[in-house]
Amino acid sequence: MSSTSQKHKHFVAEPMGEKCVTTLPGIGAAHGKRLEEKGFGKAYDVLGQFLVLKRDEKLCRDWLKDICGANVKQQGKAYACLKEWCDASL
Amino acid sequence: MASTQLTDEELFSELKHFGVTPGPVTESTRPVYLKKLKKLREEQQQRGSRPGKTRSSGAINSTSGGGNTAGSRPASHDVTHLSSSRRPGRKSSVLGFSSDESDAETPLKRKGLNHSSRADRSSGFPPQPKIRPTTPSVANKSQYGVTSKLNSNNSSPGPGGQRSVSLGWGVRARSSPEAEGRDYDESGDEDDYAGEIEKNSRSLNGCGASHLNTSKLAGDYSDSDEEEVGGLSVGDQQRDRLEPNVRRSHPKAEFTSHGVGRGSQTGGAARQVNPPESLNMVGNRRVEGEGDEVKRMDSDSSGGLRSHNVPRKSIYVSLAENHGGEAGKNNHVDGEDGAYRSSTSRFAIGLRPRFSNYSSLSQTYRGNHSNHTAPNHSYSQAVLKQKLSVPEDELLQQFKREEVASSGSFSAHYLSMFLLTAACLFFLLLGLMYLRMRGSGSSEVDGVIKSHPFGSDFDDTYNKEDKDLILKLLLNLHDHLAQVAGQHDCGDQQHPNRSLSIDEASTYLQTQNPEFEDLVLSSLEWIIRTGQDVGIRLTGQVADDPLTDVSEISRLESTHPKMPFSCRFRRAFLTVISRVILIAVVVGCVWSVVCYMKYRWRREEEETRQMYDMVQRIIDVLRSHSEACQENQDLQPYLPIPHVRDSLVQPQDRKKMKKIWERAVKFLSANESRIRKETQRIGGADFLVWRWIQPSLSCDKTSIPSKVWQGKAFPLDRRNSPPNSLTPCLKIRNMFDPVMEVGENWDLAIHEAILEKCNDNDGIVHIAVDKNSREGCVYVKCLSAEHSGRAFKALHGSWFDGKLVTVKYLRLDRYHQRFPQAQGCSTPLKASSLHVNTTSTMNTMPRLQHRGSANSSGFS
Repeated sequence: MSSTSQKHKHFVAEPMGEKCVTTLPGIGAAHGKRLEEKGFGKAYDVLGQFLVLKRDEKLCRDWLKDICGANVKQQGKAYACLKEWCDASL
Repeated sequence: MASTQLTDEELFSELKHFGVTPGPVTESTRPVYLKKLKKLREEQQQRGSRPGKTRSSGAINSTSGGGNTAGSRPASHDVTHLSSSRRPGRKSSVLGFSSDESDAETPLKRKGLNHSSRADRSSGFPPQPKIRPTTPSVANKSQYGVTSKLNSNNSSPGPGGQRSVSLGWGVRARSSPEAEGRDYDESGDEDDYAGEIEKNSRSLNGCGASHLNTSKLAGDYSDSDEEEVGGLSVGDQQRDRLEPNVRRSHPKAEFTSHGVGRGSQTGGAARQVNPPESLNMVGNRRVEGEGDEVKRMDSDSSGGLRSHNVPRKSIYVSLAENHGGEAGKNNHVDGEDGAYRSSTSRFAIGLRPRFSNYSSLSQTYRGNHSNHTAPNHSYSQAVLKQKLSVPEDELLQQFKREEVASSGSFSAHYLSMFLLTAACLFFLLLGLMYLRMRGSGSSEVDGVIKSHPFGSDFDDTYNKEDKDLILKLLLNLHDHLAQVAGQHDCGDQQHPNRSLSIDEASTYLQTQNPEFEDLVLSSLEWIIRTGQDVGIRLTGQVADDPLTDVSEISRLESTHPKMPFSCRFRRAFLTVISRVILIAVVVGCVWSVVCYMKYRWRREEEETRQMYDMVQRIIDVLRSHSEACQENQDLQPYLPIPHVRDSLVQPQDRKKMKKIWERAVKFLSANESRIRKETQRIGGADFLVWRWIQPSLSCDKTSIPSKVWQGKAFPLDRRNSPPNSLTPCLKIRNMFDPVMEVGENWDLAIHEAILEKCNDNDGIVHIAVDKNSREGCVYVKCLSAEHSGRAFKALHGSWFDGKLVTVKYLRLDRYHQRFPQAQGCSTPLKASSLHVNTTSTMNTMPRLQHRGSANSSGFS
């Protein structure tokens, strides 16, 4: 990443609490809706999945692609954000 | 597929069978793991071995790598790739110790990213597998902007496709693509050259150059221009894609273009790799102009050079700069010239970074350009002799020699020396001439005496012969007297008297010319008659009486003594020396007096300051004592003066501080109204005591917080602190204000405060307070990064003394540079057991009473 986006910064800077999944960078309204339909409405749901996949990048990206059709860039953003959050707060 | 019938457990075990440690297979993870299993099985079928499973860390790299192979990738991936690949090599230009520098943690990521992003833009283009002339990949253009310009002069061969070729290394990824295109269009194909192969080789070289440079450069210079590196990496990637017939080409694309221009060359592609001798290339270039065989050689060597591996860095830049300046001038079709110049500059690139040397070298070459044939030829010959196997050092030496020799005449050093000697000589001559003039001033009267100071009466009185005689007589007399006087002045013992008596004079004159005898007196009379100074002074019996008559004359003296030159010179010299010494002595005296005064003044200041400090301490002590007394009625409300002194001043300092103490006491009695001196009987002995007689103000002491920690301003979380501690060194800001600090040893108080705050952290080995910093900086070194991390957590964001303290990490090597004494520190510091609090309330009293805590109030 050349630089982190605002969304990223906001997300990483504080506990995610009950934030919606669309606060994740790379996840916009459309993807967010799909995720919600699959049951991943909150950011912590995605985090949970992320952790279940043992934070493996490939798996996480694949999962994101499968579940909401995120492209490579979006996957990257989301993954990076969650990774950083985990590094900081786990 | 079989996988659909797998249960979760089976899926799990299958994956484990492949060596993966999968997470729980839930309904959401199932599809993912199924896919993974499928892939694993395919791979297994394909190769029978499994690719690395976890590529998490390299995921980004891999994606970017994949992107690369795919063709032009989006810049972001490049950035990632480059940044990640570059980060280890990059020395994070972290911080120095000034307050302006950025933090340690961010540059590691940010700068690298920023830089790589910049480089990426340029490098984003490169990964295009085609070096084909068609579209000189924009990247190439941008990469090799400079070189393209440079190459514009040289015979960049034929079709525009060569653009990529001439680009050499993207030292400056600055020139706009348009400019490049322009340049290319301008450069005609002056030279013929055989086709494709050369093109290819050239393009190869062009790319290869940058490629090679990159690989070398990245490792070498952490500080080198990112763009440069990026450009190089671009070339690198390109090269990778090129066919293997390129040999390890050397980042001298332009050379190839030159070479090509030179004549029919079968694209020296067939050269073998040679050690980088850019110098050789230079030589080759030069040789080019010389003739056919030169051309051949040139082509040969350029080919050979092409195969060189010369990873040079900033030299490129410098040369490129030099060259770039010339590029504009080189637009004439005289390819040779252009070639030479550009080649020269390019060659220099091949060597280790010797910026100044090379720039001067190129300048030299430039200067010699007009008559380059001869010197260049000889030089190139010398170079060629070196052959390609000459190690770099020899090459450098040669360069050095060459440039020194060739630039000697231009050297400012020589010029200045010359001017200096010329000035000295001039002044010397001037002085000598002056002396000689003075010495020979009297010889003006030589020869025929046409003018005399006696007036017209003289002419009337005597006829010509007499006149001549008289004048000659006088002249003789004058000379003789001058000689006598001169000898006398020079210390010659022959003439003890400076003057001659009249008899002696007469005798002498008679010996000169018998005819003088009669005229002696009359001539002397004439001298008296005239009021002017003719060079002879006549004195009578009694000195200083004006003579009126010839008979009164008793002695004659010359007023213009004639001294030999050496004597004159000696006298002058002595005079000068003595005067100079005198002046020096006077100046020295004055200066020493001034110094002494300053010293005294400084001492006074110091003592006054110490006195006030002492007074302050005494007041504090007394006040606190009186407060303690109020609460504890057992204590006496006064303190004996000697006791106070002994408690405030260390035993070893007592003698030194005696004077200061006296002054403080005097000051107190004169200027302090809240303290009264009285005599009390304590334990049977009379003591002079001080009594604090101000009723305590309720909020007096608490108005200004002293050096205490006052809690945390904000909780430390990810947002305002780095995720992990980076280095063992910390820089703490805003702990004090140097202007406001009073008292001595306040920096020790700060030490104590820090140690006290981090007393659970046994890892602080060095603390340094920067007393002069406006920001109140304190530098701390810990045993390890972990300790510093804990200290960071303890200190950052706390309130101290009413100021908000911030902490950041510093680089260890910079810290050691600044505090070399910290390198050896390895024992953790401990806070002294006393509480650092000058205005503590209850504690000072017992401390005062118990001498054991002689270091009361934390003064050490």
